[in-house]
Amino acid sequence: MSAAAQEGGGIHHGPADPLFDITIPGTDFHLPIYNFVITSWVIMFILVFTAWLATRNMHRMPKGIQNVWEYIVDGLFSFFGGIMGEDRARKYGPFLGTCFLYILLSNYSGVLPGAAMIKGFVPPTNNVSITAGLAVLVFLSVFYFGIKAKGISFFKHFFQPMAFLFILNVIEELVRPVSLSLRLYGNVYGEETIVAQLGEMVPLLVPVPMMVLGLLTGAIQALVFTLLASTYIAGATEEHH
Amino acid sequence: MELVSGLIALGAAFAVGIAAVGAGVGQGIASGKAFESIARQPEVSGTIRTLLFIALAFMETLTIYGLLIAFILVGKIG
Repeated sequence: MSAAAQEGGGIHHGPADPLFDITIPGTDFHLPIYNFVITSWVIMFILVFTAWLATRNMHRMPKGIQNVWEYIVDGLFSFFGGIMGEDRARKYGPFLGTCFLYILLSNYSGVLPGAAMIKGFVPPTNNVSITAGLAVLVFLSVFYFGIKAKGISFFKHFFQPMAFLFILNVIEELVRPVSLSLRLYGNVYGEETIVAQLGEMVPLLVPVPMMVLGLLTGAIQALVFTLLASTYIAGATEEHH
Repeated sequence: MELVSGLIALGAAFAVGIAAVGAGVGQGIASGKAFESIARQPEVSGTIRTLLFIALAFMETLTIYGLLIAFILVGKIG
């Protein structure tokens, strides 16, 4: 049995041993740092650093990296505008767009050569903790944006269309983060496992078609995650007339 | 004990396998209808694509539940 297949038993919590441990001498406190945390930090650094580079010295006529970022932001905002309207897209677009870019870069970090083989280099979305964290963020932001936009009347939609459906509505709300996180995790993990298994059998060329498919899946899953998040937020903040 | 482990593994495989059949058929029908309507009216393709992705995501959720059950079952194998 291959090593990858043995690893696949149960929910995959990433590599078992942390890369290093942050400890405070004299206390019991210790904070294990896993591989995917490092990759996550690198992705965050890339996003923040390029955004800083692009906005540091802005011109009316964009050129270079500012041009690239304006293209990305413009595309994302018009995408969200199609779902929730132009003015709400401006309000909630920054959060949703950041989710999209982070997930996209995370998924694509898995196709770089050496991913999951070099220490400290594992796609973060290949881990259920990271996707669950993102889903909880979306879950909380639905409440935050909803209460901010509609006040206490946000909770009215739990009793609609009929009061006795309250329990069903609560269950629906609670299931959302579960399905969001597991969808992203399941797709990325499944794709990575298939590539690992094929690579184990035939290391050369054979995994390439699966990796190309992984490029497609990575983009679509990032899109689906943000699309669902934006429909949740749009549903929580829409005005009834 | 080995029989029990084997049965649990079979159950996990069936959980995700049968869930995938239903979701696959449903997604196929939905995508086919979406392509038909885009071919008929290419000017609304953007809206249809967005709606299609939302619908596909909801159908996929059912497979994800099967996957969740499979993970729970595989975790129970000693």
